[in-house]
Amino acid sequence: MERVVVNNKSNQSALVKERVPEWLNNSIWSSNPSANDEVVKNESIQSAMVKERIPEWLNSSLWSSNPPANDDRLLRYASKPSTALEPTTRPPIPEPPPKPQEAEEEKPNDRETRDPPRDDERSSPSISPEDISRQSQLLAELSRKIINLHELGRLASQGIPDGAGIRPTVWKILLGYLPCDRSLWATELAKKRSQYKHFKEELLVNPSDITRMLEKSTGIESDDSKCERRGFLPRSEIPHGEHPLSLGKTSIWNQFFQDSEIIEQIDRDVKRTHPDMHFFSGDSSFARSNQEALKIILIVFAKLNPGIRYVQGMNEVLAPLLYVFRNDPDEENAASTEADTFFCFVELLSGFRDNFCQQLDNSVVGIRSTISKLSRLLKKHDEELWRHLEITTKVNPQFYAFRWITLLLTQEFNFADSLHIWDTLLSDPEGPPDTLLRVCCAMLILVRKRLLGGDFTANLKLLQNYPPTNISHLLYVADKLRARSVG
Amino acid sequence: MVLVLALGDLHIPHRAPDLPAKFKSMLVPGKIQHIICTGNLCIKEVHDYLKSLCPDMHIARGEYDEDSRYPETKTLTIGQFKLGLCHGHQVIPWGDLDSLAMLQRQLDVDILVTGHTHQFKAYKHEGGVVINPGSATGAYSSITYDANPSFVLMDIDGLRVVVYVYELIDGEVKVDKIDFKKTATASH
Repeated sequence: MERVVVNNKSNQSALVKERVPEWLNNSIWSSNPSANDEVVKNESIQSAMVKERIPEWLNSSLWSSNPPANDDRLLRYASKPSTALEPTTRPPIPEPPPKPQEAEEEKPNDRETRDPPRDDERSSPSISPEDISRQSQLLAELSRKIINLHELGRLASQGIPDGAGIRPTVWKILLGYLPCDRSLWATELAKKRSQYKHFKEELLVNPSDITRMLEKSTGIESDDSKCERRGFLPRSEIPHGEHPLSLGKTSIWNQFFQDSEIIEQIDRDVKRTHPDMHFFSGDSSFARSNQEALKIILIVFAKLNPGIRYVQGMNEVLAPLLYVFRNDPDEENAASTEADTFFCFVELLSGFRDNFCQQLDNSVVGIRSTISKLSRLLKKHDEELWRHLEITTKVNPQFYAFRWITLLLTQEFNFADSLHIWDTLLSDPEGPPDTLLRVCCAMLILVRKRLLGGDFTANLKLLQNYPPTNISHLLYVADKLRARSVG
Repeated sequence: MVLVLALGDLHIPHRAPDLPAKFKSMLVPGKIQHIICTGNLCIKEVHDYLKSLCPDMHIARGEYDEDSRYPETKTLTIGQFKLGLCHGHQVIPWGDLDSLAMLQRQLDVDILVTGHTHQFKAYKHEGGVVINPGSATGAYSSITYDANPSFVLMDIDGLRVVVYVYELIDGEVKVDKIDFKKTATASH
């Protein structure tokens, strides 16, 4: 039997307790193209499997994202998304639903920016039949009077097609911003939007205006006409000891100056968000208004949540939400983007808040414990990889998983792919935090070949610059990891 | 909302060693946008200290200042207001409000900030407002006895100015405020 050293442990299998199951060393896995072509389908492996240590579909060479040069089978599936197994095909950036005037601004001539190109980059016809059917199913579900959240989630988790502009609405429903009962939408939206307006008015006012409003309310007003033409100006007491240099904790001035530090930080981070996208950066007034929206949402959030304030990274979690909601083909919705995005951001972050709180870092709910959860998940599903990564090569998961988890994978893939991943994250009934861990675990398993062959430096480099993969494959693998009890 | 600190007549080191500790604890960098200093600091160290509070500092020459390059008078515009700065020893009689009004008309400013008398004053006349922030260290003066340390912080917001007066009385900081508005048609 031709034995390709997929992992060096296979050599020791004869000597020590078998780490790698026998089926793994089957010639099927060899990179020799003369191998059985049916391997492309996962199911055909089952016959060769005995006891599963690592699920069979997992070890298909399909999952390797860096195909050896002589394996054109892999080349076909790993690097050309347009001919992928899964029905959905995705361009690098989703085209916003057709809006003529905005389209002009967003589609530059230079190809370096990753804006939606005018022409179709996809090799296949614009929307595949599966896409169309899913789109119509989603539309059908959305047009029902009472939307079945479970059904919507099921449809959405396979990916929301970009063309119909239904993603904004679906996300709003999944995040609980819009109720399932369509008739309540108008009132809910109006309520939330006016609430946001109140927040802004309350929180974004500076102390000068506050003191002036206080004076007006207590009736002390200096009327110019009553003042004498000459004379000493009358001195008056200040209310509550409020003066600009006050160092008191409850002083509005003191709070204002403390807030301005945070505002400066938010401003810096907003300017650095997605510098390659015209939506977010550049000199156009469109980009500026989007940046302004990001900034205001983050400031309002920071002021409303004194416990957590603003932490670097929140801008990255907010960016996809703003992008999706701003590109809503419904004009009215697009106009109230800020309010909608704010509430959805709050909702999305509620599951992940503890990851951002520094004091909780070492606690049961903090980021460290989440990372160790990921570690345990990996160990459960692929002990060999886990052992190689954490023990042999000593790649501490904190080195790569921190960014994966806190930023919800927005930095690991291109923008369109991360939107697709978020479709699944938001729609899975297990909830975003657990789904995220499964996706991260799947990311590790997909590159297991390279990881098992690499040392500390190579592995770290690979994981910190995760190679482009077929997202549908990734999500399929993540789905398979769902609460399986591995023997 | 622009915060402008007005102070002067510190007379460090000749008549006073330093600003009162309570004042110093309040004056932290980052809050104030401009500093207007009436003069008589007197040495460079004080100048550097004030510069560290705020990079935009304007100062007029007092008769004991060691740096002779400070101007005798200075005018600047902050927001909708024109401010004038002069130490005040040049205006005789010292502290006379009519004479200061004359200086104000000469400089053509809305707010004239002067010192020298070591006594806080805020006076309004047809030409505008005269503000004397007093002595920030409470240094002794030949014309004022028992001067309390005092300085002034102005909050300029559109056409309205809120003047916060900080005084150290019996070891405690007392803060008062004065409101005035500029009429939209500025006719001097």
